[in-house]
Amino acid sequence: MTEYFAGLDIGSTMTKVVIMNQAILASVIGPTGPEHRKLANRVMEEALAKANLPFDDITYVVATGYGRISVPFADKQITEISCHARGVSYLLPGVRTVIDIGGQDCKGIKLSNGWAVDFVMNDKCAAGTGRFLEVMAEGLGVKLDDMGRLSLTAKNVARISSTCTVFAEQEVVAKLSEGVPLPDIIAGLHEAISVRIYSMVSRLKIEREVALTGGGAKNIGLVKALEAKLGYSVLVPPEPLLTGAIGAALLGEDIAKQAAESGTPLLRSERRLREATFFT
Amino acid sequence: MTEEKKPEERKRRRTATEAASTVAPMVKAMIADVLKAKEEGKPIAYSFIYCCYDEILRAMDIVPAWTENYAGICGAKRDAQRFLERAEAENLSRSLCTYALCGLGFDAWREELGEMPPEPPWGGQARPDVMLGSGQMICDPRNKWYHAAQHYMPDVPVYDVAMPWIPFEDDYDYREVQDYYVKYIVKQLRGLVEFLERHTGKKMDWDRLSEVVELADRTWDMVIEAYELRRAIPCPMGTGDAMNTMVPLTFMMGTQQAYDFFRGLRDELQLKIANKEGIIPDEKYRLLWGGGLPSWFALTDFNYFNSKGAVFPAEVTYRLIEPIGRLDLPKVSDPIEHIAWRWTKYWTYWHDKARKRPGSHPDVEHLINYIEDYTIDGVVMHEAFSCRSWHVGLIWHLNQIKKVYKDIPSLILESDIVDISTYNEADTRARIDAFIDTLEAVKSRGR
Repeated sequence: MTEYFAGLDIGSTMTKVVIMNQAILASVIGPTGPEHRKLANRVMEEALAKANLPFDDITYVVATGYGRISVPFADKQITEISCHARGVSYLLPGVRTVIDIGGQDCKGIKLSNGWAVDFVMNDKCAAGTGRFLEVMAEGLGVKLDDMGRLSLTAKNVARISSTCTVFAEQEVVAKLSEGVPLPDIIAGLHEAISVRIYSMVSRLKIEREVALTGGGAKNIGLVKALEAKLGYSVLVPPEPLLTGAIGAALLGEDIAKQAAESGTPLLRSERRLREATFFT
Repeated sequence: MTEEKKPEERKRRRTATEAASTVAPMVKAMIADVLKAKEEGKPIAYSFIYCCYDEILRAMDIVPAWTENYAGICGAKRDAQRFLERAEAENLSRSLCTYALCGLGFDAWREELGEMPPEPPWGGQARPDVMLGSGQMICDPRNKWYHAAQHYMPDVPVYDVAMPWIPFEDDYDYREVQDYYVKYIVKQLRGLVEFLERHTGKKMDWDRLSEVVELADRTWDMVIEAYELRRAIPCPMGTGDAMNTMVPLTFMMGTQQAYDFFRGLRDELQLKIANKEGIIPDEKYRLLWGGGLPSWFALTDFNYFNSKGAVFPAEVTYRLIEPIGRLDLPKVSDPIEHIAWRWTKYWTYWHDKARKRPGSHPDVEHLINYIEDYTIDGVVMHEAFSCRSWHVGLIWHLNQIKKVYKDIPSLILESDIVDISTYNEADTRARIDAFIDTLEAVKSRGR
């Protein structure tokens, strides 16, 4: 019988789900938003429809990410550190350091033989996270998705000295009024954020190869700024938002295999998609 | 209005030992004793821990009011915010030591009212007759806190005791300079005795001081005898409990009560070990609390670690003592000189150990020794944003361990000692979960 595994990564900004059977059969990415307790089952339904599978056919479901406890139909919750490590090792074998730039946090993960053996995390301050760039995009009146491309046309990278998101926004507005070209300011922002990320992840003793994941990895300007700081190229998975969900599905597969090998029953939740509430 | 804010007190933390569960009532009684002493007209001294004057105060019948302890109580009862806000309203920066801010906010409020602020935790902090500061290296609040408190209590005199320790250097042996340090400390402490006699009317009873010092020495030995039992597997007592037992260790040194407490703890731990009774039934990971003061409002995080199979058999925080016999102290008859030597030799004890490992440092060696002695799998530290003296060097310590000893999983928690607004339980526990994952990966697969 063919086995299918689902991984859900409920991030602070984006919700990601994949269904796998050796390879990725279906994936869905949607904004988490305030209704994420309702969203988990909706994205799961969508992924099942894409894979053309009934929920009963899913052997094991693993939830990860900031909102992992809000997935009532998950068979297991696993931390995003472990899931990102597993996902990156699957997609990019040989990677030793992962830098994940999420919506509201930033993580550095040290890998050894495909497993996380050390990590650092910034979840206290928006600087160094996707939220920093979101705020700046709003302040500059540009689309977040356009920032990377625009920054590549910078002639003289502006220096943004504030590391605090609030003060950096003021600095950016001041630079705009001084007439500094938009691409130069955006490139300066990427440089500022990359310095902050680099100094945090350096606690791990960064080793090559380095993979960049999360929403930040979709910003080519930020990728280039980090590469400049590191002094070498980084690897970016084809869809950097999905590594956590892929890792979750793979860890689910590992759990199912271990159970089969040891002859122990696989403990699963009821195969019914339902919303999480605060009261169940 | 800060006055209207009601504290959100937490459920009491689950302790592993009976001894630790008796500490909260002990602290409550200690605070009540200070208030009673105040009513009886006994002199009250605002005091800091690890300043070597505990025994002097006991011998002179002067009652110490431990201001750091009181701030910690406010934090643990989740009732510090209104005092921090009060200090902020006095133009004191929120980024200063939050023990000091909490204490200063309390003092400012009490002095303004002429009585205790409303519903003060455990009866409140008594107005002192003297304040005994301490110029101890980088912990500047211990030097400046009481000077700032004089803004609200200008009539209360301050004496600053400087208690230096010999810096660790590669190019000289501490033995070349230790006599100068001891002489300096002796002079400081003699000056303190004169100050106390002048301002409190109390006279030093030198025979009593000798007795108190001898009792303190025996207590040092007893504490370590008890704590070293935590090397056992399964571990019978963790750092969560040690954050309770630090009370008799640091606030009651030189009293029979402290000695008896640790003798009782030793007996309890011996019994637990005989019965193979650990903190948790299935101990998987043994962790070292490698630095930083705890978040007093979040001590239940230690229980959360326990729920994941992790225990803390050792901590460096609040363990600035060693058995007297290990310190190679010269025989001296003057109790003040003995105190000075004991302080100095405690620090140089770690110098001697560090010199045996190239590239090491006393603070790093302390950690490495505990990692080995207590069979440690990982190191957890806490960066309390407002405590620079503990913050400084934590990451360097971890890097040095990796450099001169071995790579070991580590976790740095970020919050504060008293200011609960810096704490996020969900994020903290997500970090703990991730750390447990890495411990498991390292244990089962190697690095």
